[in-house]
Amino acid sequence: MPAGAPSRLTAAKDGISAMRAAAARPASQLRRAQALAGYGFIAPSFALYLVFVLAPVVVTFILSFTYYDPMAGSRWVGFDNFLRFFTEDRSLQIFWNTLRFTLFAVTGNICVGMGLALALDRAMPATLLYFFRLAFFLPVIIAAAFVSIVWGFFYGDDLGVINYYLSRIGVSPVHWLTSSRNAMASIVVMDVWKNAGFFMVIFIAALQGVPKPLTEAAIMDGASYWRRFFKIVLPWISPVVFFAIVYASIGALQVYESIWILTRGGPGDATRSMSIYIVEEAFDNFEIGYAASVAVVMTIVILIITALQMLASRHWVRA
Amino acid sequence: MSILETFRPTQALEPRVAGPIRKNGRGTALKRDEQNVNTRFVAFSAVVSLSLAGGLAKADDTSANLRLQTFGTEAQLGAVKHAVARFNEKYPNVKVEIAIDPISNGWGDYVTHVLAQFTAGNAYDVYGTAIETFRTFEARNLFLPLDDYIAKNPSYADFDPALFKYSSYEGKTYFVPIGWNNIMINCNRALFKDAGVEEPKDWTWNQFREIAKKLTKRDANGNVLQYGYEVPNQNFFVQPWFLTNGTSPLNADWTASNMLDPKVAETLQFLHDLIHVDKVSPIPGKDTMDNQFMAGQVAMISRGRWILANVEKAKIDLDISDVPSKVTGNTVIGFGGYAVSKTSKYPEIAKELIGALTSEQTQKEEADLGGSVPGRKSAAETASYLAFPPSAPLYYASLPHTVPVPSPANFQEVEKIFIRNYIAMMADEISIADGVKRTDQELNESFKRLAAQQGK
Repeated sequence: MPAGAPSRLTAAKDGISAMRAAAARPASQLRRAQALAGYGFIAPSFALYLVFVLAPVVVTFILSFTYYDPMAGSRWVGFDNFLRFFTEDRSLQIFWNTLRFTLFAVTGNICVGMGLALALDRAMPATLLYFFRLAFFLPVIIAAAFVSIVWGFFYGDDLGVINYYLSRIGVSPVHWLTSSRNAMASIVVMDVWKNAGFFMVIFIAALQGVPKPLTEAAIMDGASYWRRFFKIVLPWISPVVFFAIVYASIGALQVYESIWILTRGGPGDATRSMSIYIVEEAFDNFEIGYAASVAVVMTIVILIITALQMLASRHWVRA
Repeated sequence: MSILETFRPTQALEPRVAGPIRKNGRGTALKRDEQNVNTRFVAFSAVVSLSLAGGLAKADDTSANLRLQTFGTEAQLGAVKHAVARFNEKYPNVKVEIAIDPISNGWGDYVTHVLAQFTAGNAYDVYGTAIETFRTFEARNLFLPLDDYIAKNPSYADFDPALFKYSSYEGKTYFVPIGWNNIMINCNRALFKDAGVEEPKDWTWNQFREIAKKLTKRDANGNVLQYGYEVPNQNFFVQPWFLTNGTSPLNADWTASNMLDPKVAETLQFLHDLIHVDKVSPIPGKDTMDNQFMAGQVAMISRGRWILANVEKAKIDLDISDVPSKVTGNTVIGFGGYAVSKTSKYPEIAKELIGALTSEQTQKEEADLGGSVPGRKSAAETASYLAFPPSAPLYYASLPHTVPVPSPANFQEVEKIFIRNYIAMMADEISIADGVKRTDQELNESFKRLAAQQGK
């Protein structure tokens, strides 16, 4: 090696340093450019979110502390609207109705959806398979207006289909929708009929993702069908089940359509939900501030229930 | 220059055209010499018109854009369009934009819609609406008084004065009536004949009850095949039962509940017993039983004239009867009316448009559609109007015995409170005694809120 010539190691080190220095500058500019582009891409959707989600939420929250008149403007009333909600017998009954519907509708939709998925997740002729899937999914896509006509016809007191067949076997007619004892159950049945097909589709997809070697090994070990389901399949698809429960719960807490089309919330307030109550107070009674306060309470309830479900999920949902 | 244009000076003296009159304030008081000139021109124009043997309409060159917001079905829209076309014969340069709301979401939704238009500074010039909303709008001072315009038009004498009385608030008339409906008992005559029951006339509650029993049919298992009557599920339909007992759920000036009047409970008990004791009616649900009536499964329903079109389609042999009386023979009336927005830039032309919308020709056309009873008596005397049902004259004859449907400024809330509790009582979800107390409490709370909102 000639005297004064840099060693290979030194040269290499210098080279790397130079390359790093050279690379550092463009990299920083690139990052900035990429960041700007990223912000540019999300800006339209963020603007839409801001205008159509965040701003209405903030406005609703502010309105909940006011008396709002469409012509005269708003007047600050503090917690009066919330006080009214928590002290009126009527609003508390409506709150309880909503929770009751949520409990039964979510349970019904998840259980029936899972039952249908299990029934169809097996070997059968393709034509038959697609026929059943379509048949069970069809109610999901049928318009509520048709559903109301059909179920109204089923549930009619004197001229209804169900009571007709009950009378044929000597059973007295049942007031399906005109008695508070039966009305909520009747609505839940229709809701499950209409929505269980949606959960069936989700569960079928999840069931098809369960690794075959696991279930086959269990079969080899002599595990029964239900033992395999509870010990292998259910734990494996638990994240999907958890999603379905949260999704169904949020939907049920906001229930409007199913109840409105069958009973309009009656008889009395026996089936009125918080969503119906909000709409009636805001747009029939012009109590927009009070309706906003009920909406805020409902949002908080949904958040609490979802948080509780998330906490509980730590114990049963596969990580 | 055409003959029509020659007459323009006459029109300039008439307090009709908004622009110039508003500027010089001549709309309210014409000078005597102007009136004389006006009279001479009117007489001259009448002679010329007659001599033309066709009565050519005077055209007016006023230019304006009017916006009309009204309610109804496609059929009613047709009649409105024809009225506007007739208006445009006289005012060819006035463009009228029509918006029609089918009221598919109730009057509350319509009120919200109209209030939003005013709030946004986008109010229409002319509004068609119903009595259920009158007080809400009047209390907010949205419309112009029409007393002067009505006084100037002798043809409005054709309307029953009661209709204008019901259209007034604090001494001023804000609406020109369109058509009205009173609740009568609609009877399926074929089912009456089958049951060997004579058609009712001047009947009482008890006679009604007995007839309803005879008209109710059951099979061997006791299942109902045909109901005698439908206990109504709507506020408007049920009101006659209170009125015939000399009471009402609200007090006379619609400012407080009257639910604790023992006659209210008595009326509710009577209706309750029709369902649960006599079993002549099902429990009222969310839907009316119009379809069942059209199918011959219900013999009597409480409705207005609007059902005639469907009755004729279903080929029901129908006739109407007064509501059975107990203390009075009164029934309820509801009706529509047109008003001019206070924010209209063309109030005088807007009033002329109302004139066309409530003319005899328009009312006859609307009556032929089978909807409401026309406000004009002349339109309720045509052969086509009187052809069906056999007792068609009874609609107009009963007008002196009508009471407007209670329509306070918080009507939407009051109606919901009443009907929710009423249905609960009819469904035996709550006793009549507890139900009237609960309704009374809720109604009075609603009126308290209304008073607070109005700063009273």
